[in-house]
Amino acid sequence: MEISLSKEVFSQISPSEFFYRNRDLAGFSNPTRSLYTSVREFVENALDACDHRKILPDIHLSIKAVDPEQADPKHYILTVKDNGPGIDPEHIPLAFGTVLYGSKFGLKQARGMFGLGATMAILYGQITTNKPVTVKSCSDGKSLDEFVMLLDIQKNKPVIQKHTTKEASKTGLTVSIVLEGDYSKAGSKIRDYVYQTSLITPYASITFEDPAGEKFHYARIVKDMPRPPTVIKPHPHGIDVETIRRMITDTHYQIPAIDNKMIDKVKKELGLKKNLSPKEILERAQKRWSDISKPVRTVISVMSFLNIDFEGLQKIRIDDIDVANKTITYWDFGESQSHSVELSPDSPYYKQIASTVQGDTLLTFLTKRFQRVGPTTAEKFCEFAKFKPDKRIGSMTNEELVKLADALQKFEEFLSPDPSCLAPLGEEPLSKGIMKFFNPEFAAVWQRNASAYSGFPFVVEMGIAYGGDIPPSGLKVYRFANRIPLLYDEGSDVVLKIVNETEWTRYKIKGDPPLVIVSHICSTRIPYKTVGKENVADRPEIERELKNALQYLARKLAVHMSRQGAADMAKKRANLYSKYVPLIAQFATELAGKKKEPNYNQLIRMGSEIEEQV
Amino acid sequence: MRLKNKSNAKTAETRKKRLLSMLEQQGLSIYEHLDKGRFPQFVIPSRSVSNIVYDKKIRQYILGSASAVRSSRNMSQLRSYTQLAWLAFFVNRLVREGKSSTLRDIYYSSQAFSIDFEDQPESDNIIVDLEAVLTSPREEFHIFPEERSSVFGDLTIEYTVPGYEGKRMNLSDHPDGYLIGPSLSSAELVDTSAELVIAIEKGGLFTRFVEEKVHKKFKAIIVDTAGQAPRSTRNLLRRLNNEMGLPVVILADGDVYGEHIAMVIKSGSANAAHLRELTVPDAKWLGVWATDIEKYKLPTIPMTESDIKRIYDLQKDPRYQEGNWKKQLEVFLKLKRKAELEAFSKYGLTNITDKYLPAKLEESKSF
Repeated sequence: MEISLSKEVFSQISPSEFFYRNRDLAGFSNPTRSLYTSVREFVENALDACDHRKILPDIHLSIKAVDPEQADPKHYILTVKDNGPGIDPEHIPLAFGTVLYGSKFGLKQARGMFGLGATMAILYGQITTNKPVTVKSCSDGKSLDEFVMLLDIQKNKPVIQKHTTKEASKTGLTVSIVLEGDYSKAGSKIRDYVYQTSLITPYASITFEDPAGEKFHYARIVKDMPRPPTVIKPHPHGIDVETIRRMITDTHYQIPAIDNKMIDKVKKELGLKKNLSPKEILERAQKRWSDISKPVRTVISVMSFLNIDFEGLQKIRIDDIDVANKTITYWDFGESQSHSVELSPDSPYYKQIASTVQGDTLLTFLTKRFQRVGPTTAEKFCEFAKFKPDKRIGSMTNEELVKLADALQKFEEFLSPDPSCLAPLGEEPLSKGIMKFFNPEFAAVWQRNASAYSGFPFVVEMGIAYGGDIPPSGLKVYRFANRIPLLYDEGSDVVLKIVNETEWTRYKIKGDPPLVIVSHICSTRIPYKTVGKENVADRPEIERELKNALQYLARKLAVHMSRQGAADMAKKRANLYSKYVPLIAQFATELAGKKKEPNYNQLIRMGSEIEEQV
Repeated sequence: MRLKNKSNAKTAETRKKRLLSMLEQQGLSIYEHLDKGRFPQFVIPSRSVSNIVYDKKIRQYILGSASAVRSSRNMSQLRSYTQLAWLAFFVNRLVREGKSSTLRDIYYSSQAFSIDFEDQPESDNIIVDLEAVLTSPREEFHIFPEERSSVFGDLTIEYTVPGYEGKRMNLSDHPDGYLIGPSLSSAELVDTSAELVIAIEKGGLFTRFVEEKVHKKFKAIIVDTAGQAPRSTRNLLRRLNNEMGLPVVILADGDVYGEHIAMVIKSGSANAAHLRELTVPDAKWLGVWATDIEKYKLPTIPMTESDIKRIYDLQKDPRYQEGNWKKQLEVFLKLKRKAELEAFSKYGLTNITDKYLPAKLEESKSF
């Protein structure tokens, strides 16, 4: 009891404590950065929500000063409105009024991680302005719920100040907070962010209204949503000891909660209408054993050891099944006292109980709980890791778990991770976005096949654009990770490194070219260099993929440049011959002492048409 | 009185006709090419180092048989082809109308005809190309460098330049000497009482020689080469030697550059290997020799590193492989010191004309 109490305290105080201590890490170090981070968190949440339900996103972002006359940093009202699925009214207070409430668990690509950021922004707003957050949500397309609430930091609980409901016609969510920010400094980054987000989300329509009332609107360019990511099991290479421990804990088939519902289920599977004696029940079960479900088998096994019928079953609560000490402990409500019964290994029901408590064999655990592990691979692994394949994972000691985790990392015969959990934008939408944004004279995109680093799958997609409306002010790189633009810490990013290492003259690119590169890395875990999530570390696997993508695109650009060069050359030839041949004719006529100039038109035409001599 | 050789009568006029005829031929060729839809081209003897060879028979550097084609068909040559065609056209006008120009003037004149030279070196190069095509020095095109050297002595000339045709002039009338410019270069040499031509490297000593009446004492025409002799000066020296039969002697500083000034007058330079009639094969280098430095106990200054490097370079030249030319280089290298012509003034201002010159002239009769 003491332990569970301290757990409660821990989980209530920790999030806000954690936030206070780690404001810098979470991107709330100063009013400038905080405003920018808050915009990001809300916009990304909105986009994720729409993506998840395959709704073409329609996002409205506005930033308004509470008192425009005041100097920065000052209070701003930040509002983000989307057309997503909304949130059930009953979940809203928890979702926005507590820290560490979120639904983004599981392994799939998403913009934010665990949905913490939005709550952080709300908390930051409340700390700096003591103003409540306003959430308007419509999840059924009929009614709109509006909550105005504060966060009780001590108790980590929402304090609802106002809740109203009215009619609505469309689903969607609007979140509005008041926070201290510095738009004069954060403005350019926020505008860049909105611009670049629109580039990598061409299926979204995004509008941004800045504090001066100026509207930046980015219309939807493509109408098809990219394939959404699927949730997948983890890959053995991407696992640590703690993750294994958690997986094993929830692999234990829990002793089913024995309530009326369960008892009805047992009766139904046994085909019973009325109560029978314990003996009769077991006989009946024996006949149908192969047809009945695992939880029911477990309940029947328990009944066999306790030697009770359904009526008896209703009066007790199973407290512990201790396979090591071969005892079952239960609480008898009628007698209000605890009993222990021996768990005899001789009983035919012992195995059922033991396997339920001890969990799967290692072989089953590996094949069931990890992606791309079949029985053959699992057996090979067991041999490699020196574990018996039929070892029960519930019986593993700490040392064995460490050894297991270690071996999972080192075993090289696992297939590479399943990329179906990734959601790259796709070549066509990326290409359309690039064409619309830059109106280039040449563009090419390429999506590489999925690859993996340390058990995490990733996909690199890249686009290159040249000329057209792009100003000739040198190479510009737009970096994205999981559809998020990366704006800060450009210098230390792996993409920049690859681009800078490229010998552009080899691809016929010189000087300050009108050149844009769009790089998008998708992964279930982007290896950011810093917690600020602005620059990607140079993992060799990612570096190789980026390099291959860039080289491929640069070669395409080089082909275009040579073609362009040939066309330019032909034009140049024509110009040169039109200019010089008449001059030569003029000089020759006087030199030769003639009066009339020779007919040189044929020569001008021939000069323009000659193939370039090598 | 030494009269000019009759067989060379009206040589200036002949050369002009020959040149105009060559220009017309080029013009006709280009004209026909254009008219028939063919790409005209110039054939230019190659002036690359590998095509410059020393001809022992005529004792000068000449171009070998290699030649380059500058074709209007080749886009990268079209511009320079047109420049060359323009220059031929412009030279034709200069020569026909008896007008003179300079290297710099050519560069600026081009702009009036939409011929865009990037800089003067580019137009200078095209001029050398035309010299090679027509195997004639640019002086015959009436194109002169800016630098001038001078001549003084009893020599009567007859101008051919427009407005002065037939007018005669004696080159001893003005004590500063006469600039060897376009009109002097194109003049006919009529007669002279001189028996010798003394080419001297420096203007200061040229004036001294006039003051000391060297032209009278030695019956000489004195030519100031102003350092390395310009082509028009070399051409005049050749004509004095060829047409008037005068021997040419050369006085230069007592260093490796002085020795080479003498050599270039005698047998030309590699730069002008495409040209003839600029050399005086029988010219004699009087001094100052390396051996003279010791013999006349001249004050000296040490050689610089580039002086010494120049000696090594010249030792590879075929003309320095034998006789006095070779010997003097070796002595210079041994001394590693040099003496200027002015060094003689240590023994008195007239020492060079009173003592050194007569002694060397006497000595020269034996080599």
